[in-house]
Order: sequence, then C-alpha cells, then structure tokens
Amino acid sequence: MRRGLGLLAAALACAAPRARAQDSVFGIRGLGFLDEPLTGRSAGMGGGYAMFDGGAATSPASIAAWTGSVGWAVGAASRRSFDPGTGTQSLTSTRFPLFGFSTPLSPRLVVGLTASDYFDRNWSVEQSDTVALRDSAVAATDATTSAGGITDLRAAAAYRVSEQWAVGLGLHVLTGSAVTTVRRDFPADTAYHSFQERSSTDYSGVGLSVGAFVAPAPALILGASARFNARLKATSADTSVRIRMPVELAAGVYYAPLPSLIVSSTVRYSTWGAAASDLVAAGQERSRDVWSVGVGLQAASLRMAGQTVPLRLGYRWRQLPFLIGGDALNEHAFTAGLGLAAARGHANMDVAVELGSRSTGVLTERFTTAIVGVSIQP
Amino acid sequence: MARTFAWPSAGAAALLAALAACGTDITTPGHCPELCPQNSIQLADTLLASPVLSDTSVRGYLLVREASYLLASDLDSLKSLVLLQFQPLPTKWTVGTDSATLGVVDSVRVSLSVLQRDTAAKGLRVVFRRLPARFDTGATYDNIQPYFADSTLWDTSAAGEIPDTLVAGAVTLTAPDTLQPLAGDSGIVSLGIALVSGTPTALAIGSGAENTGTTGPYLYFYVRGHLIADTLHRDTLSKVLSLQPTFATFVMSPDPGQPASGVLAVGGIPTARATLRLGLPKEVVDSNAIVRGTLILSTLDPVGGFARDSFLLAAQPLLRDNGPKSILYPDSTISGVTWLHPGQTGQVQLDITRLLRLWGSTTGDSLPRTLVLRLVPEGRLLSAVSFRGAVSGAGAPQLRVTYVRRYAFGVP
Repeated sequence: MRRGLGLLAAALACAAPRARAQDSVFGIRGLGFLDEPLTGRSAGMGGGYAMFDGGAATSPASIAAWTGSVGWAVGAASRRSFDPGTGTQSLTSTRFPLFGFSTPLSPRLVVGLTASDYFDRNWSVEQSDTVALRDSAVAATDATTSAGGITDLRAAAAYRVSEQWAVGLGLHVLTGSAVTTVRRDFPADTAYHSFQERSSTDYSGVGLSVGAFVAPAPALILGASARFNARLKATSADTSVRIRMPVELAAGVYYAPLPSLIVSSTVRYSTWGAAASDLVAAGQERSRDVWSVGVGLQAASLRMAGQTVPLRLGYRWRQLPFLIGGDALNEHAFTAGLGLAAARGHANMDVAVELGSRSTGVLTERFTTAIVGVSIQP
Repeated sequence: MARTFAWPSAGAAALLAALAACGTDITTPGHCPELCPQNSIQLADTLLASPVLSDTSVRGYLLVREASYLLASDLDSLKSLVLLQFQPLPTKWTVGTDSATLGVVDSVRVSLSVLQRDTAAKGLRVVFRRLPARFDTGATYDNIQPYFADSTLWDTSAAGEIPDTLVAGAVTLTAPDTLQPLAGDSGIVSLGIALVSGTPTALAIGSGAENTGTTGPYLYFYVRGHLIADTLHRDTLSKVLSLQPTFATFVMSPDPGQPASGVLAVGGIPTARATLRLGLPKEVVDSNAIVRGTLILSTLDPVGGFARDSFLLAAQPLLRDNGPKSILYPDSTISGVTWLHPGQTGQVQLDITRLLRLWGSTTGDSLPRTLVLRLVPEGRLLSAVSFRGAVSGAGAPQLRVTYVRRYAFGVP
C-alpha cells in the first residue's frame, strides 16, 4: 500500500507545475485545446466507458460505483508529429490531466473531488522572416509561447437510489491561467536587440452537472448526464471578456453479455456554438457545436502471473469546437489497454495507448499517447 | 502474496519511465495564417530631430597632474612643456647596520618612459632646463617661459636624441655633471622638458601618477661615499640613487579653458564631459520594447589624438543629475560606446539601446533622462572630440529609435 501511495506522490510531484493533458498545435485557437481527461481504463476503451467510470469527470453519478475510499491519478506521455509543409516536426509532452478522490459517506451516498484538465493552452510557434529596417533587410525570428490552461475542479455527490438507479450532482469551478510570451530575435544582426513581452490571462467560471444511471436489465446500464456552465471570465491586465459556455450533454450504454466481456459506448454533444459570437468579438475565430463518440470493449481473457488481466480495445472520434482558418477540426484514435491489479485489488494500474490524428484542411497532427492510471483503495 | 506485489513493481517501472519523459518540446514552425498568433509584432522606426532639451560641457574631471602622461609638444595648435620636481637627493644611505655619507656625484642619468610619439617626426630631441627647485606648482605656460628662454639656464640639448625607430618604451639619457642639486635647494632638482624636432610634433611620456599604471621619469645619481665611521672620508662606496618626481605636470598653450557654449566637448586634458538632457516621447521612454536606439552626433572639428590611436566614446546614464557633479550610473555595461579615430569627421553614431531600455525598466524609471558623453578611459593621450550642441540647427544631436509597437495579446 505504501508503495502505491508513493507512486501517486511521484505523479503529483511532477504534475505540480503543469497538470495538463495532451497538447496540440491546434490549441493556438479559441480557448485552447479542449481536453477530455480519461482514466487509463476508459482511455483503453476509446472513451466508451467514460460515462460509467468513477474516475472520469463525465457524469457525477459515476462515483456511485465506488464502494470504499479511493484516490486516483492519471499521467499521459504524448509524442506528436506535425507537418506544416516545411517538414515533419516531432513534438513531445508529458501531462497529468486527472486526479481524484472519492469516499462513501453512507452505504448509498458517495462524495468525491476531481481535478481535470478542461482546456490546454500549451503551445509554441516559431517563425522566421525578413523585415525592412533602416533601409536594410534584417532577418528576424518570432517565437510566441503559451503556457497554462484551464482546470475543472468538481465536487460531486452520487446517491444509489436502488439497485437499478443512481443519480449524481456535481458543482464545477473552472480556474486557471495562461501566460503568453512573444519574443523577437535578430539572429544575424547584433545591432538590433531582442524584444520580449509577456501577458497573463486568468480564467474563472462555474458549472453544474447532473447525471443518472439506470439498469433496466442485469447486464445493461444506461446513463445520461448534462452539464450547464456559466460564462467563462477571461481577465488580463487591461481587458476582461466573458465567453458563453456550452451545455454539455452525454449519454452512454454499458452492456456485459458475458461475465468476461463488456461493451460500452459514450456519446456527447456540446453546444460550443454558443461561444461563437463572444469569440468573434474578442478577435478569435468562431466556434461550433460538437459531437464526440467513443466505443470500446473489455475482455478479461488474459492470464498473467496467476491473475486475470482485462484487455481493452476502443475507438473514439470527436469534433473540436474551434475552427482553424475557417475549417473544422476533427480527431479520431484507436486505443488499446490492459489493467493490472495488486494487493488484492487495493492498488490498480491501467495502461492504455492511443494512436490517432487530428486534422483540419491540409493540416494533420498525428499522435501516440501512453496513458497510465493508478488508483489506490485503502 | 509475493506474486501479486510483482505488479506494483512493474507498474512502478512503467510509471517512472513515463515520468522520466517529463520534458516537453512543443515548439512548431508557424503555418500561417492558420496556426500563427492572431497578432504579429509591429516595428516602428522614428527619427527624433531634437531630442536634446539642453546640453552643457564642463572641463576638469581629470586634472593634468592626474593624467597618465606628460606631454611635450611644439605643434602649431598646441605647445606644451613638462615640469618635474624630484625627491631630494639623500645625503646618507644605509650599508648593512652602518650608514654611509654622500661624497661625490660621478654622473647623472635621466630615464623617460615614452608612451606615444609620431614616428614620422625624425630627429626628435628633448631639451632639459633647470627650474627653480621649488617652482610654482600653479605655473602656466606663459609664466614658465623665462626659465626656458633664459640662456643662463642649463641646457641639455646634447643629452641625446629619441631613436627614430622608437614608438614606445624607456629611454635613458646621460645628463651633464652639472645636473646636481644647487646649494640651498635641500637636494631638490626640478627640471623642465621641451621638445625640439624638425617638424612640429608631440611626445607623451609616462607620468607615474597614482592609479594610472604608468612609469614616471627617474633621475639616477651615480654616487660615491664613505661610512660615517670612516674618519678619513675615503669615498670608496658606490651607490645608485634613483629619484622619482614628487610633482609632475605639464603646461599648455593655448589653455583649453572651459568649452564654449553650444559645443559638446569631450575628452582632452583636463578632461571634459558633455551632459545631454533628453526629452523623449512616451512610447520611447516608457517601454522596454526598444530594439535599437542610435544617438547621432556631428563632429565640430576633426577628432583629436595621436595618429592610429583610436579611443572609445561612451554615452553613460546618470544616477543623479547634479550638474557637473552628477553621479554616473554604476553599471558601465549599460553605456553606449563607439570607437573614434583621430582625424575622423562627420557623423558619429552611438548605440544607446541598453540605456533607453534601462529608462523603460522598473529599476531605471526614476533615473533622470540625462546622459553624459565621456571618453573611456579618460585622460588618454590627447584624445578629444567636439560635437555640435542642441542649438546647432542641422548638426544638432538626433536620436533614431526602432521599437515594437504595443503588442495586442488579446483575450481570451
């Protein structure tokens, strides 16, 4: 048990300065790159299990699945490749997008806290050009870097109404900041000095989510959730804007036709188009309503070291809300994973790998992400 | 049990491997306009034709007697004479635990450390004149003349020539036997040095002044004497007594005096500094976005100094503006500097970007918008330059500034 807690502490220590999920070059637009933090288990099933995953922040009713106190953390290391037309660029990042803790207050009532990435604003763009200065052509290199993001803090409570029903309620606080730095260097002319300036933007907002599960048959669970967000306030040193936020609807199905086989799917719809006018007014490109679909299966068929190890496969597809140069951005990924248990199930680790891409117009970013989730149940 | 705990070990290894990849590389080449920032960096370039509100020049920061050199010159534009007062010639010296008494002076030699001379001037001779042992240390070029003109004074023109090939280095000349302290002068010898050459030129010799790192003139007395205990006074003991100047200076004609109004005089000796008080637009001062700032000055006369002896002109900010007694900003790396070459005319451009940026920073915000022009180091061989001041019309100082316009970061 102490060993498991040590792992969690190590993850937390590294996460402190940058608790973010996947980066993307497309995070430069809108509010950033929209995250969907998943546990290792859900990630391995293409996000199809997210609606029912007690560790995910999709539905507040999902924490009703916990029967004891539990803490969990997720780390994700991603390698990306992006070709802007001048050659493939390899990018790497390691983030810790999801932490949580949950405990039953009574046999029917479970409460929990999660901290998950909502928007990632980590990106860096470098351009070289020649500018005319004092009757001469001077080579200049511009670098614009953003570091930060918006975190979703959720306090949730779930109540098991009966063996067939569970409901949940979540209160969300969106908080975070991003520091943008612009820098111009004149690498070939020392007569010109470098310029650098930075600006910080703080974000704040609140939301409310509700969710419910129903089990109409012994091997079937249906779930639904809705999240309502107040406007997001973005404040810099001299400007403050409010952005309308979407209503996020989700529905899911969990079906276990065999004791060793689970099939699950989650579908989401978010009215991000509501933010379009505010974004355009702030000089950004407009946003759109988006769909997200994940489907996966888990088969507990592999035996390793005397244990049954569940294997997972999945596929997910989603639309991203912010347009890139007027074009829509979509993402899809194939996923696979497995789960490992220790200490008689008190310590669990889920490992998943995603292979996918996101593209808009002629631009494509391919990614491979390794996701490791650890949960500890004392 | 041991079997189940193998999983945490494997998990730990996997997680640690993931953590080891904590480094991040997220920089991509921009693909514009899709993946470039909404706003771009905009540069502006402006020429401020009258940035100087007022200017003053004051001479006297480094006095002649503090200079690293002594100048003997017969140039048409500058005539100067070197004046030296040496330590008293001792009458005794120690020999082991005993003392010896000075008997006779066999010979005298003079050593000079040549710092700079014009090698085009051939047959250079130095002429030594005896000055009153305690001459007036406030002497001027005019009132010291009688001692150089009166033929009754001691003339050592036969002492020797400065080798034509010598650019810099020590020169030792043998003086006539008559170069000895006169009775009643308490052993003090004072000398004047003039320069004689076929073509007007100048010669700089080391002054030995404090903190200059130069070697000054020396007098070497080759003497004989006897032990005090030797009642027969047999002068069998030999000794070389070396004497340094207790006072070394040079006098000039014309006297440089204080710079004329409207002239930015810098350098020379006594050294001059020019102070420029600037009036700058808000976008120039109240920002750290300046990428290049150039102060443009117009020379009034050709840059002075020894040929091929270039020197640095510096524009330095002030900590406090107290007029001539202003306190310079201690960090000299902030200064703008440029090389000047003797004979140079026309425009001189000084990069003062760091200085302007200092004024735009939090630490430099309270500093006076004033800069001082000075030479580095000050008091260097004849180095001097004069620029046109703020009231000079077309030749007045100008400031060209290239800066980044306020960047629109945008929200969100």
